[in-house]
Amino acid sequence: MRPAEFLQIVTSRRVVREFADAPLDEQDLLYILTAGRWATRGSNSRIHRLLVVQNRSVIRRVRAFSPGMLGSPAALIVICTDGGLAAAAEVQLDRDITPWIDVGTAAMNMMLAAHALGLGSCPVTSFSKGAVAVVLNLPLRVVPEFIVQLGRPFAMPRVSPSPVSRAALDEIVYWENYPG
Amino acid sequence: MAESSCAVRDDQAWELLAYLTASAELCTREPHYYGTFRLIEAASRLIGFMLADSEASTNWLRDFKSEIDEKKLWMLRDREAYFAFLKEAAATLATHMNTEGGKR
Repeated sequence: MRPAEFLQIVTSRRVVREFADAPLDEQDLLYILTAGRWATRGSNSRIHRLLVVQNRSVIRRVRAFSPGMLGSPAALIVICTDGGLAAAAEVQLDRDITPWIDVGTAAMNMMLAAHALGLGSCPVTSFSKGAVAVVLNLPLRVVPEFIVQLGRPFAMPRVSPSPVSRAALDEIVYWENYPG
Repeated sequence: MAESSCAVRDDQAWELLAYLTASAELCTREPHYYGTFRLIEAASRLIGFMLADSEASTNWLRDFKSEIDEKKLWMLRDREAYFAFLKEAAATLATHMNTEGGKR
């Protein structure tokens, strides 16, 4: 892949909130999950697990407890922290923010992979972790941290960035010195 | 004249209950303006349930829901316009409820 092609994927991805009523191909899901698997990890720790949910009634129930889920996606990938794995790896979840960063890198990789396949995605952090853990029947040591909604876009979102929604590079980047 | 009825199904009522309860939890940690977003989204979801089973005010309600679903997202990019819409939405609903056809 050429650098320009990569940047095209990055800059044309948008949050998709309306999904078509169509299932996803297993190969597409595996592609997306592979992208998540190859995300960077602090200290090479492997304390997160990815739970794929395609059952419509379970998705509907997760949505009920997830105010941040506005659409009705075909699948969810729930990024979970396994407290047992964290303890074994001596990761201090209450002090170390690195696991949170790892959740973000995995989510971003998967959303870009979905976009590269022509699929839509939307991140969800606004959900009741306790309620979603119950709905998904998670073991007590497992915490749902982040939900990636996936589906075929009902309508492609506008691609051109609006001037107010995207800061110019020179607004957010400083070279060598941070101005006072 | 007989009162029109508007039944919300059992599963719909539970879904809305779950949404509102989870929203209350989120309001403890999210920016304050998200609280307004959760409420207007709940209004939209309630209308969606009403439209599924009600014949009354269908066209008006469908338009009102469309307007909410479009303008609620202003919260993300134009908060001033979003807050203005919220002020307008309640008055719009009250006006409709006062009209002859939609008297409630």
